[in-house]
Amino acid sequence: MLKDVMGVIYTGENDALLRELTMTRAIAALPVAGRYRVIDFLMSALVNGGMRNVGVIMQKNYHSLMDHLGSGKEWDLHGKNDGLYVLPPFLTRENIGVYSGLLDALRSNTNYLTRSKQEYVVLCNSAIICNPKMDAFVSYHLDSGADITLMYTKEATMLRDGSGSYVSVDENGMVQDIEVEPVHPSYDSTFMEILILKRDYLRSLVDKGVAHGHHELTREVLLPLVQGKGARINAWEYTGPAWRMDSVQAYFKFNMDVLNTEVRRRLFPDDLPVYTKVRDEMPARYADNATVINTLVADGCIIEGTVENSILFRGVRIAPDAHVKNCIIMQDGQVHSGAYIENCILDKQAVIKRNARLIGPNAYPIVIAKNVVI
Amino acid sequence: MMRKKTCIAMLLAGGQGSRLGILTQRVAKPAVPYGGKYRIIDFPLSNCTNSGIDTVGVLTQYQPLELNAYIGSGAPWDLDLSNGGVFVLPPYQKGKVGEWYRGTANAIYQNMAFIEQYHPDYVLILSGDHIYKMDYNKMLQFHIRHGADATIAVREVPWEECSRFGIMNTDADDNILEFEEKPKHPKSNKASMGVYIFTWEKLRAYLEADEADKSSSNDFGKNIIPKMLGDKQVLCAYSFDGYWKDVGTIESLWEANMDLLSTPMPIDLHDKKWRIYARNPGYAPHYIAKGATVQDSLITEGCEVYGHVEHSVLFSGVVVEEGANVRDAVIMPGSVIRRGAIVHRAIVAEGADIGPGAVVGEEEGNIAVVGWDVKLPAGVTVTAGQQVDESTTF
Repeated sequence: MLKDVMGVIYTGENDALLRELTMTRAIAALPVAGRYRVIDFLMSALVNGGMRNVGVIMQKNYHSLMDHLGSGKEWDLHGKNDGLYVLPPFLTRENIGVYSGLLDALRSNTNYLTRSKQEYVVLCNSAIICNPKMDAFVSYHLDSGADITLMYTKEATMLRDGSGSYVSVDENGMVQDIEVEPVHPSYDSTFMEILILKRDYLRSLVDKGVAHGHHELTREVLLPLVQGKGARINAWEYTGPAWRMDSVQAYFKFNMDVLNTEVRRRLFPDDLPVYTKVRDEMPARYADNATVINTLVADGCIIEGTVENSILFRGVRIAPDAHVKNCIIMQDGQVHSGAYIENCILDKQAVIKRNARLIGPNAYPIVIAKNVVI
Repeated sequence: MMRKKTCIAMLLAGGQGSRLGILTQRVAKPAVPYGGKYRIIDFPLSNCTNSGIDTVGVLTQYQPLELNAYIGSGAPWDLDLSNGGVFVLPPYQKGKVGEWYRGTANAIYQNMAFIEQYHPDYVLILSGDHIYKMDYNKMLQFHIRHGADATIAVREVPWEECSRFGIMNTDADDNILEFEEKPKHPKSNKASMGVYIFTWEKLRAYLEADEADKSSSNDFGKNIIPKMLGDKQVLCAYSFDGYWKDVGTIESLWEANMDLLSTPMPIDLHDKKWRIYARNPGYAPHYIAKGATVQDSLITEGCEVYGHVEHSVLFSGVVVEEGANVRDAVIMPGSVIRRGAIVHRAIVAEGADIGPGAVVGEEEGNIAVVGWDVKLPAGVTVTAGQQVDESTTF
């Protein structure tokens, strides 16, 4: 039955608050938790839920995202039937390639939606990190007979900082109200920007919405439907941890949160593996004078110094007498001898030279851009 | 019709590896874990890919299930191709006849139809017994340059160990004059690495003749090579001087793992130009907790360390609980070392559970081994050199 559901991930979210981290990549391609990209979690959840047709709508800076997804092999989406569809923006008479919202993006990819064979679509934004049991979500939707089912969470890991949407859900699971981007939300349930509906119904909503000059799905389509009772909209509660990656602070918090073993067990349950592009690095090597405390370490690292409360991505080198505290060091980063860094995010291939000192405030970590040498 | 291939490889993976004791109770030797995330067979397979050899037949016979599942489509080694790729070749029924592989040469003989599909000029014969990085293409160029009928890769070994190997006596131009199996009084210290390149036309003729000879034990070292030498065929020795380690015994497997902890590593596994590929189990990065100490060790994805790890190799998903002490040990995938347990000079196989306060191995003496999925009760002791499996009672 789940073969009758397809997944669509929209990767065009606003990334202004991620500063240098999204200069060269979409949020979906942001490296997280030592060896993943943000999109790996949703992609894997869709695939673990049995979906065989997944479309990824690209918007800006999508080179690194395309490079990461490749043929979809890591997610077993490289088959002859369906598989991974990479949908970059393109120019046509009615489409200038820049989407002002999810509705625009879906309008431009009408052909893909029309050609797909599945009866249902799970539609997601890419900036949410979570690992829901998609088959349970789909079953709930089918059993409830609703027109649309939204996924929501009451998890405290989801920051309530004015950039999300919130739902009020009654005892029958029906959505009574949606608030879009309130500074002070009235409801404790955060809409995870994941929903399921019939493919044909989505096409008609997109068509009508665009015809009325609308761009955004939640504010301009879902909200009026709820208010005018134009459709039966239900909500399903996801009880695992979830984060929205829309600012440097949120990015830093997520990475620090996964240092907690309990959080990690909930984000990576045994039956819901998270797949990612494999790099074939050897296991991490610890020298005899290494000191490592409360740290996640990926393969290919060589640690000779001191590391605490940090995340080391693949291939990171920490020299003897280097000291790293509360840092996120992306792939192939290096911290040389005698350097001290604290509350820093080093993008890929960044190098901190001998005896450098770099201390960021706890609430506002320093971001060192890709390939920068300090 | 398959496209013609210059050289294809045949990997002999049927050996039981009985000297590895309980470690090969469930898997063939080439599937034995090594180096934190690899299996022995990853080395010859990665060498093939890195050498540009894209067609590999893997001959299996003993405990093939795990190996078949591990190789799968060959994707981890880029060997999932429509023309070529990796093929698992178990013995099979041919017409009325069906039989096990009787020897290394017979195993190749039984798969001549597979080889012929590719019309190769040369066939590379490999085994799944060693840890090494070798460019087979350089060896093939050597074979062609010397106009050889067969080329055997050799490595100089310490003279006192010559009696454990097949020794090649050569002239100054690398021509093999004599082959001595495990000689008591060696004339040379060039040991055969079990890596051969044959000109296929020649090998086919010798395999057919060998098969017709009822007295033959159908073995490359015992029959084919001596016969070719006797017939004055051109046999050359290709010298290899890189790291090459037999992992056929408990002690040597343990040593080969410990080799990766010395600085510099005698075999560079960081080399981006010669990566060793492996099937990836897809775990999160490993976690070192507050209060843990990790020194001089290799640790891979999925591990969680709360206790002490020193001079050891931890495979994927291993958990070392608080107060546990792991030293000079090899802990294979998914094993758990419980609170207060001590593992010292030991190999713990996949999926084992070392109970709280248990003691495995000793400061001196032989390596202790805990077998597959063994649940070691709290407080028990496994002495040096002891091997415990699921049938052991405590």
